Amino acid sequence: MRILITSGGHDRSAALAGHLAQQHEVRLTERTHVETEHEFALSGLGHDRSTNLLTRGIDAIIHAVEPLPGEDVSSQLDAATRCTYNLLMAAAEEGVQQVILLSTLELMAGYPPGYRVAETWRPLPSTEPPTLTKHMAEQVSREFAREGSLGVTVLRLGEASHETIAVAVDEALAEPASLAARHRSREEGAAEAWSITHIGERAS
Amino acid sequence: MNVLILGGAGMLGPYAARELAPAHNLRITDINPPQEDLPGEFTLLDAADLDGVVAAAAGMDAIVNLSVLRRDRQTAWDVSTRGCYNMMQAAVTHGIRRVINTGPHYTVAGRHITEVHDFDIVPDIPPQPGTNLYALTKAMGLEICRVFTRHHDISVQHYLFYNFKDPAAIQPGERYAPYVISWENAAEVFTLGLDIDLDALPSRNEVFYVFADMPHGKFSNEKTKRILGFKPRRDVEILWK
Repeated sequence: MRILITSGGHDRSAALAGHLAQQHEVRLTERTHVETEHEFALSGLGHDRSTNLLTRGIDAIIHAVEPLPGEDVSSQLDAATRCTYNLLMAAAEEGVQQVILLSTLELMAGYPPGYRVAETWRPLPSTEPPTLTKHMAEQVSREFAREGSLGVTVLRLGEASHETIAVAVDEALAEPASLAARHRSREEGAAEAWSITHIGERAS
Repeated sequence: MNVLILGGAGMLGPYAARELAPAHNLRITDINPPQEDLPGEFTLLDAADLDGVVAAAAGMDAIVNLSVLRRDRQTAWDVSTRGCYNMMQAAVTHGIRRVINTGPHYTVAGRHITEVHDFDIVPDIPPQPGTNLYALTKAMGLEICRVFTRHHDISVQHYLFYNFKDPAAIQPGERYAPYVISWENAAEVFTLGLDIDLDALPSRNEVFYVFADMPHGKFSNEKTKRILGFKPRRDVEILWK
C-alpha cells in the first residue's frame, strides 16, 4: 500500500512513517522542508495541479493536521480548512481509497469527568487550536464522506503512546471507513463512509 | 446603534446600507471600493485581515457580515470561513453581542441533497453543505460562529438567501429559484435583526431563510416571519403568475 502522511515535520507523523514503512511505501509531506529518511514532497496543499500529483498513486492518506512551529491561529485555521479541502478534493479526483484523519479527543473534554463519552456524542470544541482546528478539519472531511467521494476514518487521539496510535492506524488501514460503512449499512441502515474512533484516554 | 458592515460594497450591501442608514451609524468596509455613494463612513478592508477587522469593530454595537467571494478557492476560504473567525474575534474583543452573518441557502441544505427531493425545508436542520465550495466555506463560517456563541455571550443571526431579483427588471417567463426575494425586501430583514431583543431569540445561534412567500413549498420562511416579524413583499409574484 502507498501511504501519504501530512504534517511530516511533526513527531507523530515521523513516528507513524517509521512504523508504516516496515510494511508499506510511505511518502511524507509538509508545508515546509523536512529532513527525513523517507520519501518527502514539499507541498503547500494548494488548489493547483501539484496537490493532485502529490496524491496520485496513493492508496491511503493519513492527514495529521498539525500546525507549523510558531504558526498563528489564523494560518492554522487556514491549513485545517482550505488545505484539508484541497487535499481531499485532489484525493477524490485521483481515486485515493481512504483517508485517516488524526483528530483530538480534546474535542470531548467539555463533558464532565466520569462520563463514558462515545464517538456518537457531539464534539465540544473551544474557540482555540487545537480543538477548533481539528474540529474544522473533521467538518470539512465529513462532507466528502457524506457525498461518498472518499472513505474517511477519524481517529480522535487522547493520551496515547506512539505505539498505541500505530496500532489504531494499522487497524484503520485494515478496515477502510467505506468498508465499515457497508457493514453498518446492513445492520443499522447507515450509508456514509464516515467512521470515528476514540483512541487513548480523555483528559479530565 | 453603531453598526459595522463587512463586505458592504457588494451586491446586497448598498441596499442594506440605505435601509439601515436612517436609524444607525454605519461603518462600511469592503475589499473593493464602492461603485456608488454609500451612507456612513467607508474603509477598504479585507475580511480575512484579523487585525483590520478587530480594529474596524472598535466602538461598534453590532456587526453585519455581507462579505462573499465564492469562486476562487483561496479567497472563498479567506472570506467566508476565516472572515467569520475574524468577525467573532472582533466581537469578543470589543464586547459586541449582536452579530448578523449571511450566506446562501445551501449553507445548511446542500443543493444536491435536499432541494431536488424535498419540500418544507426549514433552516433548523443539521448543516449538510456538501463539498460545493461556496456552500462549504459558508457552512464552516457558520460553524465557527456557533462554536463562539457556545463560549461567549454573543448572538449570531444567520440570514440565508438564494435568488435576488429586481422587480422592475423581471422578464416574462424568466427562470427563478424556488427561493426568491427582491433586493429591497431582503434589506429590510437587517433592520429587524438589529431591533430584536436578543433574549427573544431561541438561542445564541439562529439560522433564518429570507425570501418571499412562494407557492412552491420547497423552503419555509415561517421562522423568519414568526421570530423576526419579517414581512415578505409581494413584488416578485410576476415570476409565477
